[in-house]
Amino acid sequence: MSRVNTVLGPVPAEELGLVAVHEHIGYGMPGSELDTRWWKTPEQRYQETVPKLRRFHELGGGTFVDATGICNGRDPDYYRSLSAKTGVHIVACTGFVGGDTALAHFADAEVDYLAAQFVHEITVGIGGTGARAGVIKVGVSRGGRMTDLDKRIYRAAARAARATGAPILTHLAIDAENAIAIFEEERLPLHRVLFGHVDDGVNADKTRDVWIADQGGRIGFDTFGYETELPDPPFWARPRRERLDHFLRFIGDGRIHQVLASADANCSPLGWPGVEGHTVNYLFDDLIPDLRAAGLDEAAIRTVFVDNPAAFLTLQP
Amino acid sequence: MGHRTTPTVNTVLGPVPAAELGVVAIHEALLSVVPGAEHAWDVTIDRAEVFETLAAKLTEFRTHGGGTLVDRTGMFHGRDLRLYEALSRTTGVHLVASTGQGPEELLGGYFLTPQTNPPTPWPAGKFAELFALEAAEGMVVPRVERRGPAGLVATAATRAGMTATDESLFRGAARAALATGVPVSVRYGADVRHDLDVLLDEGLPADRIAVGDLDLDRDLARAAAFEVAGRGAYAVLDHLGTEGEGHPTDAERADLVAELVAAGHGGRVLLSVGATGVAKGHPGNDLPYAHLLTGFVPLLRERGLDGTRVRRLLVDNPRELLTVRAV
Repeated sequence: MSRVNTVLGPVPAEELGLVAVHEHIGYGMPGSELDTRWWKTPEQRYQETVPKLRRFHELGGGTFVDATGICNGRDPDYYRSLSAKTGVHIVACTGFVGGDTALAHFADAEVDYLAAQFVHEITVGIGGTGARAGVIKVGVSRGGRMTDLDKRIYRAAARAARATGAPILTHLAIDAENAIAIFEEERLPLHRVLFGHVDDGVNADKTRDVWIADQGGRIGFDTFGYETELPDPPFWARPRRERLDHFLRFIGDGRIHQVLASADANCSPLGWPGVEGHTVNYLFDDLIPDLRAAGLDEAAIRTVFVDNPAAFLTLQP
Repeated sequence: MGHRTTPTVNTVLGPVPAAELGVVAIHEALLSVVPGAEHAWDVTIDRAEVFETLAAKLTEFRTHGGGTLVDRTGMFHGRDLRLYEALSRTTGVHLVASTGQGPEELLGGYFLTPQTNPPTPWPAGKFAELFALEAAEGMVVPRVERRGPAGLVATAATRAGMTATDESLFRGAARAALATGVPVSVRYGADVRHDLDVLLDEGLPADRIAVGDLDLDRDLARAAAFEVAGRGAYAVLDHLGTEGEGHPTDAERADLVAELVAAGHGGRVLLSVGATGVAKGHPGNDLPYAHLLTGFVPLLRERGLDGTRVRRLLVDNPRELLTVRAV
């Protein structure tokens, strides 16, 4: 039986449709909730979010994977209402965007405690919401190298993935030697891991995407749309043509079954201004037309946006 | 005839005339939650149960003569303003809540690795603004609303020694206190003189500063307390009832208080239990707030401190500290 945990309950992977595999309803660094400069009324949050999800659905989007970690403003009750009202499947994650987003209670915890947290959120639910996590988020802290805490989180994620069959999604794929060593020690097959953000402007040159793929890892080109051509680009932006060429080169070498693509956009950011004009619908408005123009056929597009994410997200206990 | 404003203290139910505070427990915790523990799979926070536990402890404190309790856990360690408002209304104990946070290890990534390149930790000026808004415009219920203004700014230095970000927190706390008229309460790191100097360096008068944790280490307590009081700041013995494992006994604390009073520092000593009313994500302690009155005051009387002197420690000194200064 194919099963994927969404915030409204398990669904068959066959029903996911087109998947945006690395997105955010709203992301904020832990502590940003204390700073009123970022606060929005609930009316404003729904107003900024619902039209984007509705449009995503109308354009053929089926599933939205929210990659917001435990202490980053993750809000499963809100996601449940959004999913029920827009018809978009929403997958929430357990885990942390990086060690530097884990608050003291988790930063001081042992691997087994972190693993128990992840397993609980995947098998029982997140807090009292009843929503089960469908994917485990891990990542590399700011600074470019995995910290000791990052490594504990990766190891805990690997154990939770083995115990539950849930996949792992990473923030950044730099310092991958350390990450892969941990996954191998924990005997987690690398096709259960999506190594994300190989395409961002800061880290693309430092990321060994081919090397990771050669060992069986899945590769996330998932910051599409963060372009230097934007009026006010973020520091991780990259020239549009350069990212697209990177992606086409990568799949051209026979690796199309290992790639996933997404926009990493915020519907309504929580603790930062966000990037004006950048939404999940970049996938429909820009990326898929660019891929067609580059000669990808419908089967190839289906592989990237439907089949690959379905295989990745299916719980494999 | 000029208009005279009654001196007030910021409580969770609004400004209260300073003369009404009565006996004050100056360094306590109501609900104490390690940052992040509210998301933990094995932590349950049943607010009705928390209320019942805290109400019983506050009522016991009041029964033994307590009037006001200060929660010095700051803005990011379980502070629950609506619960505290209900507790104050129900028990009749004035509750003073704090803004501030720290030490560094308890901060969220928003302050330490912000989404800028490079991710530079927050400087003192930004902390000052964050804390001052809470003391002037009201304390936040995150992403929902502001409630009443904070009664003090609380922060702490890392035990092993003040870090660069701890210093920003201290300087920010001092600036917020100067801007709003509320006092600062700190726990020091490795060097009490150094840490106090950081606050004084911002131009904050010594009598707006309370330094805690002075009676934690049996060997250091005496020198630290004399250092702080001697420089005009409030020396807070805030672990009354915690004995053994390197801590002084209450008898030794009472001896120290008597010494401080005899040396003329009676106007710069404060006392508290440092109880954790309800602890989540850490063991806390199960000390009663009332131990200040039931356990410690008798030891002071045994050492010859009369009613006036005891009242000075429990009523007058905290009232002076907590009274919001005109700015």
